[in-house]
Amino acid sequence: MIPSDQFVRFYNEVFKFLDAQGGGALEDYYRAVSEQQERHCLALFKAEGLAGMKAYWDRIAVEENCDMTCTLHADRLEIVMRRCPSLGKAMDNDAGAFERYCDHCPGWILPLLAKAGCRCDYDIIDRTLPQCRLTICPNDPQRASRIRVSGL
Amino acid sequence: MLRYRETGELHKDFHGSMNAAVEYVGSRYGREGLREVFRNTAQKVYRSIYKKLKAGDWSELLEHWHYFMTREGADFSIAVTDTEAVMTVRRCPAVAHLRDLGMTPSVFFCDQTVLLNEAWCEGTPFEAVTETTGEGSCVQRIRLSRPLNGRDDERRNEGSHDSE
Repeated sequence: MIPSDQFVRFYNEVFKFLDAQGGGALEDYYRAVSEQQERHCLALFKAEGLAGMKAYWDRIAVEENCDMTCTLHADRLEIVMRRCPSLGKAMDNDAGAFERYCDHCPGWILPLLAKAGCRCDYDIIDRTLPQCRLTICPNDPQRASRIRVSGL
Repeated sequence: MLRYRETGELHKDFHGSMNAAVEYVGSRYGREGLREVFRNTAQKVYRSIYKKLKAGDWSELLEHWHYFMTREGADFSIAVTDTEAVMTVRRCPAVAHLRDLGMTPSVFFCDQTVLLNEAWCEGTPFEAVTETTGEGSCVQRIRLSRPLNGRDDERRNEGSHDSE
């Protein structure tokens, strides 16, 4: 058994393997992960909207030992990850972190949020730092979700 | 001493993510695809365990088994003799959590144990034999497949211990 504590180091190896297959295999996997995550989140996100998303990520913050703040505003949910244990473990790893490790998060989150009627501004900040920022809002036909690496 | 020794809260839903991951890779790339991923995991991620096994020392593997099976709440025991370390798992916490989530274990789910143990033993004086004895129960054996040289034997004996 791979301990749940160490799943992300295995995940990191899956990303390397799929990336080496080419042909969009890794992106296909992100979509499969997103569909898998629907069973944990989608009903909650649809039923309770931004408040349901805050409840989900507040639980994740505890269980995954994150240093993370989720702030609910009337029109948006802001998530600030100051210490991501997932990237932290992928980096604290004798096999080395997959260089685009961070991309799996927006890879599964954005399609799921779209199904829940929301869009997301996802700032990875820097793929070598275990930090990121998300702003989640109800869908707006004028603005699409976006992923960026601001470096700030 | 363990290279990775997490503390704090557990996110057991990662067992569900593991189930999906092995199903995804296994169904598309076969058992050989899974074997490649688990070989990299066993020999590169868990490099210190693998290096010790190559030197005839199973101490870090046994410590890993004991620490994480305890942390996950498994019902298990480990017995060690001169030639064999046997972990008997009566209640696998990963399978139990899948059931709690209402998930059915993938046909590849136990390959995380079988293929990981096999990859750990590749090119070492040990061989791995994993016998599934029911859903959520198994017997994992790491046993000497060839005699150790004197130095290896010394190292292994320093690290071995009984655990129940």
